[in-house]
Amino acid sequence: MSTPAIQISGLKKSYDNVHALNGVNIQIEQGQFFGLLGPNGAGKTTTINILTGLVRRDTGETNIMGKDTVKDYRFTRSHVGIAAQELSVDWFFPIEKLLYFQAGYYGIPAIKAKPQIDQLLDRMGLMEKKNSRLRQLSGGMKRRFQLAKALVHDPNIIILDEPTAGVDVELRHDLWQYLRDLHSDGKTILLTTHYIEEAELLCEKVAIIDAGKILKEGTPKELTRELGQSGITIHLSGYDKKLIPCLSEYTYTQEKNRLHFSVDDPDSSLPNIIKQISSCDIHIQSVESSSSSLEDVFLHLTGKGINQ
Amino acid sequence: MNWIGLWTLIKREVGRFLSVYKQTILPGVISSGLYIVVFGFTLEQRISEINGVPYTLFILPGLIMMTTLSNATSNTASSMLQMKLLQQLPDLLTAPLSGFEISFAYIVGGALRGFINGLMVIFVGVLLIDMPVQNIWGTLGFIFLVSWAFASMGLLLGQLADTWDHLATMQNFFLTPLSFLGGIFYSIKMLPDWAQTISYFNPIYYMINGIRHTILGVSDSDPMVSFFMALIMTIIFSLSAMLVMKSGKKIKL
Ligand SMILES: Nc1ncnc2c1ncn2[C@@H]1O[C@H](COP(=O)(O)OP(=O)(O)O)[C@@H](O)[C@H]1O
Ligand SMILES: [Mg+2]
Repeated sequence: MSTPAIQISGLKKSYDNVHALNGVNIQIEQGQFFGLLGPNGAGKTTTINILTGLVRRDTGETNIMGKDTVKDYRFTRSHVGIAAQELSVDWFFPIEKLLYFQAGYYGIPAIKAKPQIDQLLDRMGLMEKKNSRLRQLSGGMKRRFQLAKALVHDPNIIILDEPTAGVDVELRHDLWQYLRDLHSDGKTILLTTHYIEEAELLCEKVAIIDAGKILKEGTPKELTRELGQSGITIHLSGYDKKLIPCLSEYTYTQEKNRLHFSVDDPDSSLPNIIKQISSCDIHIQSVESSSSSLEDVFLHLTGKGINQ
Repeated sequence: MNWIGLWTLIKREVGRFLSVYKQTILPGVISSGLYIVVFGFTLEQRISEINGVPYTLFILPGLIMMTTLSNATSNTASSMLQMKLLQQLPDLLTAPLSGFEISFAYIVGGALRGFINGLMVIFVGVLLIDMPVQNIWGTLGFIFLVSWAFASMGLLLGQLADTWDHLATMQNFFLTPLSFLGGIFYSIKMLPDWAQTISYFNPIYYMINGIRHTILGVSDSDPMVSFFMALIMTIIFSLSAMLVMKSGKKIKL
């Protein structure tokens, strides 16, 4: 077997008195598209920041291409491109210049960086904006710039911290396509997200993280098959605050008027759920049942929805 | 060493202040020019010579030093704090750059801005009042050392500060008063004894008198002592700035 691209074992980290990571173990093979899925505050950013050197680990091991990320930081960092969760701001330089700086930090002189930078500006639709400052770019353009910045030194491993948080649907689909392209070029990708759909659609392997621990790991298929459950999605005509007391005996996730239940046997559960909702005088608009998704897996593991 | 990385970061730091030269180069020249004009044409007739030097000429080396050290300090301090506040620092901290390379590049940027400012004030002095420079290499060397020392100190401040308010406090309550009390406008021999003694504890006193000696050949402090003070400050501040950068204090969690 070849060296894993990323290997994390027994990783712990506390900030003052917050236990952000409680012994995280992850192994990502070269060329794999790996998703770290978890709600806000689960420890995704902390994990990534330890890999890239922004945050210091308390205990545990973090290796990239078989080398320690602290001791051999020059080696490990030059293999990795990072798109951080937070967008940066720069007042002084046009975006093209910023990409050349970024390449320079990775030891690539301007002449060598040019083809890659031109190609990235082109692919990200930023060519016309190359002389603009960051503040003159729209939110979506800033996201694309950030991805371009992560790729200037053509890294083999790409780490993306919630790359599609807050972007519109069109750009999200465009970014997804681009990530798939990178993956089929053989890049290793580590992506964090709290969008179940994103993990399910893109990732070959998913680790579910909550409260600083990996709860489960596997391909989306394995995870959902193992659970053997099914999902029931109910749309209500409108949100009703009677709902919470009414369904207090069930575990479900809720986004506005969409309810999602994870059940073992839909045939017996579905009538009960419908009866219960109706008995509270709440109006149902539509009902669907589906085979389990990662949403069900998450709900089953944590007893809560990922956005709750 | 990541030479290209270091060189890139130096270019960035230098490009940053050059791109806003109206805020980083011109003010020092203009205010020094104003001092010279105001003192030269009005006050000089009413103030006697100090140590045998006409008053306007006497204050010029101090103005050079004050311009140099305040520009060197604020370049690194504000660049570092700005990068921290604008989320740019992660780009550097996640790149294959060592703490030494990052701090060295910042210090070069700040030192160059201090040096350019010092030179500009020398030009202004030579142009407006024919300032003689007795020991040009000594002068340049002194400006370089002081620029380097205070750029390092600024970097340290920028890394440890959390807000612009912290930086302004340092500037207004320490740097500016120490510069004024270091004898830009007077010889400390004009002060009462106790005040002279206090002045010996002010490092900027040695900077001002050191450069005054290289330009005018007169100074309150022994020129060798001034030189060693500048050298010691340069060494202490650059080492601390580099070590604190390496430690990641306040910038790595
Ligand atoms: N700088 C910090 N200081 C204190 N606590 C922090 C800091 N950064 C993160 N945390 C805490 O650590 C936990 C994990 O955070 P984070 O890694 O950002 O999660 P995620 O990226 O999954 O949303 C959270 O409880 C968060 O509040
Ligand atoms: Mg996060």
